[in-house]
Amino acid sequence: MTDLGTLDYIWLGILAVFQGPEAFSLLGVSVSITVMMVAFGLILGIIVGATPGLGGVIAMAISLPILISIFGFNSDALLPVLGFLIGVMKGSTVGGAVPAILFNTPGTPDAYMTTLDGYPMAKSGKARKALKISHFSSVTGDTFSDIVLIVCAPFLAILVETYLDLPEKTALLILSLSFIAAVVGGSAAKGLLSCGLGLLAVYIGTGEDFYPRLSFGSAALSDGIPITAAVIGVLVIGAIFTELENLWHQKRHTGAIEVAKDEGDQRLHWADIRQIFPHIGRSAIIGTIIGALPGVGSTLAATIGYATGKRIYAKKKKPEDPEFGQGAPEGIAATEAANSSVSGANLIPVLSLGIPGNTAAVFLILAAESIGGFNPGPAVFKFSSDLNPELVIAFGLFTTMILANLLNWTVGGVFMRSLGALVRIPKQYLLPVVLLLTLASLYVQETSMSAIWFAFGFGILGYFMMRFAISPLPFVIGFVLGGRIEDTARQAFSATGGDPWFLLKSPIAAAFILCAFAVIFLSLRKPKVDIT
Amino acid sequence: MKKLLKSAVVAATILGTSTAAFAEDWTPPGPIKMIIAFAAGGGADTQARLIAEELEAAQGWKVIPEQVTGKGGLNAVNAVKDAPADGTTIAMIVTSSLGYSMVASKTGSPQDVTLITTTAGTQMGIVALADKGWKTLGDVIEAAKGGQEIRFGVMTPALADIAYVIGKENGVDFNIISVKGGKAVTNGLNAGDMDIGFGAGVQAKAVAAGDMVELASARSEPLKNSPDAPLLSDYGVDFVSELAFLFVGPKDMDPAARAAIASAIAEVATKEGGKANAFLMKGFGGAMILTGEELEATVQDAYDSSGALIAAAAD
Repeated sequence: MTDLGTLDYIWLGILAVFQGPEAFSLLGVSVSITVMMVAFGLILGIIVGATPGLGGVIAMAISLPILISIFGFNSDALLPVLGFLIGVMKGSTVGGAVPAILFNTPGTPDAYMTTLDGYPMAKSGKARKALKISHFSSVTGDTFSDIVLIVCAPFLAILVETYLDLPEKTALLILSLSFIAAVVGGSAAKGLLSCGLGLLAVYIGTGEDFYPRLSFGSAALSDGIPITAAVIGVLVIGAIFTELENLWHQKRHTGAIEVAKDEGDQRLHWADIRQIFPHIGRSAIIGTIIGALPGVGSTLAATIGYATGKRIYAKKKKPEDPEFGQGAPEGIAATEAANSSVSGANLIPVLSLGIPGNTAAVFLILAAESIGGFNPGPAVFKFSSDLNPELVIAFGLFTTMILANLLNWTVGGVFMRSLGALVRIPKQYLLPVVLLLTLASLYVQETSMSAIWFAFGFGILGYFMMRFAISPLPFVIGFVLGGRIEDTARQAFSATGGDPWFLLKSPIAAAFILCAFAVIFLSLRKPKVDIT
Repeated sequence: MKKLLKSAVVAATILGTSTAAFAEDWTPPGPIKMIIAFAAGGGADTQARLIAEELEAAQGWKVIPEQVTGKGGLNAVNAVKDAPADGTTIAMIVTSSLGYSMVASKTGSPQDVTLITTTAGTQMGIVALADKGWKTLGDVIEAAKGGQEIRFGVMTPALADIAYVIGKENGVDFNIISVKGGKAVTNGLNAGDMDIGFGAGVQAKAVAAGDMVELASARSEPLKNSPDAPLLSDYGVDFVSELAFLFVGPKDMDPAARAAIASAIAEVATKEGGKANAFLMKGFGGAMILTGEELEATVQDAYDSSGALIAAAAD
């Protein structure tokens, strides 16, 4: 075999996407299953994004087990399934703006800021133009973020493998968990609680000892808790319970939805783009930086992007232009570019360190773990001279992201503008259907009733966590990373010849641990606002 | 006596052919859950998934792989032993799961499961990256004696004991790092987290490419790819790691299901040109099929002899 260089790997990744198993051929051009799945994912993502009450997470939770049972468990399944999830992820941020602009109801939480200028624009007869601006900004931000991911992730991974030894890796994992606990949710104490519960749950029945720890002799617990059941339970079922209760309390707003008629020129002109582009650029950078930090979500990015844009806009605007909040296209651009540019950067810690930073990343890791053959983490980026199949998958993944962006640029906008009606789907019908679908698809993957009971139990836990304003995200990330932390810590302990102070002996590890404490300490001191 | 023997042979033949006839007719009453006791992405896992894939193609069965890792394969044994015995649950483990792991944990015996068939042996060796400059295990021991800390990656408790005994017999202390699966050892070596480690066979490609060296054979005979590598007995170690990968089913498994699954697995593992066969050839020195009483005897032997290693590593 000839030696493989970096370019060969990139090329193999691209080929893996386009020359995979053929789905159908169109006018003699064969379309691979991966390409088709990316397109499906994107379309589904836009639809769920545009439906208030649904979102990318629910779509991923339901579709992942179904996809795995369709595509099977070999490495050929990786790119179609991961590509689909990436499509959903990208589509849902674009779709969230549709009801925000047309009906003043954000389709996804991160589109809340879009309502501020989008809805006034729609009321003044510029709905289509507002949608076009939102789409353009969203896709531009997303593309920028992906480029940063593709350039940074391999270098970061190589850096980690070169400079971090086992104790430092352990310390880095601890730092990420404490950072997530500190920044997500209302308070560091609640974040730590959530994270601690996740760790406690994952340590049931696992470990190196020959007896199943923490299982109280129960056979159901001795094999540990299935990861899919825990994640879907806390995230999705918990959220459905909370939504159902909200519906119970507040009588649904049943007034007729007012739709303003479009008037005048709806086209996006070159001058418009020139006008909003500085806002897109600034917000894309803000969103990308925020996205690269684990645990900080797109809602915060949107808030900061909007606030920064507002400050600069107020100084520069002409007197006749509308203020932010009164229908300024720049406001939509600043929000949408920021919240969409989170998604690509969010995968930087996943692919280079194996640390998921948000829920979409958790589902990508779940998919990779269930299918097998791809273990996100620094070992993926080993440019070995004989074929490293994981690296090919990584570049294949990048290719699906670029592909999803291209589709988003071309057909995404048109599709998105046709989805105004979805806001009318009543939640009281939607939520039970979603609950049923979630449980059914979980059963498809786990094929045991115990998984359903676990999911229900964790759903109740998730419900109470949300009722007490505790974010479930640290729980999920704690659950996903718990095994890794334990393994790495054990290995670091033995590698240093059984030194109990291994976390403090090397300067880098000590610095990470110090940061971990500092992050918690600082966020305990200052009063916080909910930023998830 | 002779007559009795004759009739016994006849009876056995009839029984044999009738099971075989059963086996031909046997179809699983539902999808088969294939429990895999090895970490995803490693050599053993790849082997199991390739077999699953080819079983689906050859037999038209639906096979659903599921990872149940940890505790030297005992988690997988626990997951399979009480499953429905109708052939819808099987597990791929390694012989030491029913030997060393059970003896060390003082739980269970090989009779807790039904043995179906082995697929392949291992080419267990001690490996290091070529750029470390070591040629044999002796070089490593010298380095350790010179004061260098040596990190030794292992993937089972039995191998951890062997690593410890190697150190003990040669007057050095290795820092023994237990990881999940041979893939994790390879990753650890590549990342510089470990200096040497055990490889069950998937190191073949890296050894051929000159990226890795096999410093010693951990088998009773030389390794196929590095016939010149010394044996552990050259370093005063009486223990070897003669593992084989095998499929097991629940206790008291339906004999027809057992026979059908055994012959189906043997068929795909030995089919020339098949993906599973090619993989076994490359990584584990080719398919090795043991079934029935022969297999039962081998497994029981491994179980009975595990005590010695545990005792040697205990003091």
